[in-house]
Amino acid sequence: MAAPTKGNTTNSSATPGANFKNYTHNHNVGSDGLIVIQLSMTNSRSFTTATYGGQSMTLLYTISRGGLGQRMAFYYLENPPTGNNTLRVNFNSSVWNGVSVHIRSFTDSGGIGASSRTGGQSSPHTQSLTVEQDSLIMTTSCCVNVILTQQIPTGTNRTFTTHNVNRQVATGAITADAGHNAGSISLRATSASGNLTLDRTEIKGLGGSPAASDTDFFLILQ
Amino acid sequence: MITIISKIELEGTDNLKYTDVGHTQDVSVINQVNEDYDSTLGKFIGENKTKLELGVVSISTFFAQTPYVNEARTQVDDAEGLGLIEVTNISQL
Repeated sequence: MAAPTKGNTTNSSATPGANFKNYTHNHNVGSDGLIVIQLSMTNSRSFTTATYGGQSMTLLYTISRGGLGQRMAFYYLENPPTGNNTLRVNFNSSVWNGVSVHIRSFTDSGGIGASSRTGGQSSPHTQSLTVEQDSLIMTTSCCVNVILTQQIPTGTNRTFTTHNVNRQVATGAITADAGHNAGSISLRATSASGNLTLDRTEIKGLGGSPAASDTDFFLILQ
Repeated sequence: MITIISKIELEGTDNLKYTDVGHTQDVSVINQVNEDYDSTLGKFIGENKTKLELGVVSISTFFAQTPYVNEARTQVDDAEGLGLIEVTNISQL
């Protein structure tokens, strides 16, 4: 097993002012590629589809946070085209609020694994996610007030991008490069005050047998 | 991180059109661009958000007075191959 290799990121909080928004993102060269996008915007509108380089992305989840007036979503695409391509997000109608966007590329990835979402709870908001050996975890949170930390695992603050799209959104937090040991991983998000959500998704490494060159051996009988 | 500067214009009668025009790592340039956006188009959208969603107000009202506005709220790790100029002074825009 090996952890996925992190690639380029793109972050934006621009207001689309149309029923779609394009983002140019440079996907890294390498095998077993994966591109993901974390989204959050007002729940008066819906995400309909997303494409990268013209290829349809798969919706992992979309969820409306009624108490926070936000809709959050996660799309991904395995083996996307490399280089600079357009990631297009489509909406059911023109959006006149900012949309929080975090796009991240990976190579050497086994795809998306476990994913779970929890609505607003008081800070500190602690959850867990059970992952495979060497997987990474991405988290995102939404809150009325300032989000202070994204801890992956609990006790380890990871950097994240803050977007103010009527609500505070923390996006792009991810495990350190080494990845996790298999099992249940405790995760925590904290805010200055008020309830905050905690959504978490596993990015799997490459599984399977070790390379043949590492395992071949000869038994000589005499 | 590298910040992309986008030019925002009217497309058709009711939509915004974004065109990337440059990139910068200069915080003062980023702040100037976004302060200008916030005091013009951002202010108009903020004051008319619900009416824009309902179609009661058209964004063309704003662009009747101002041909375009720039914004710097997209960050990327890598600007290679985008064909964008590096902006070191807001007068380049």
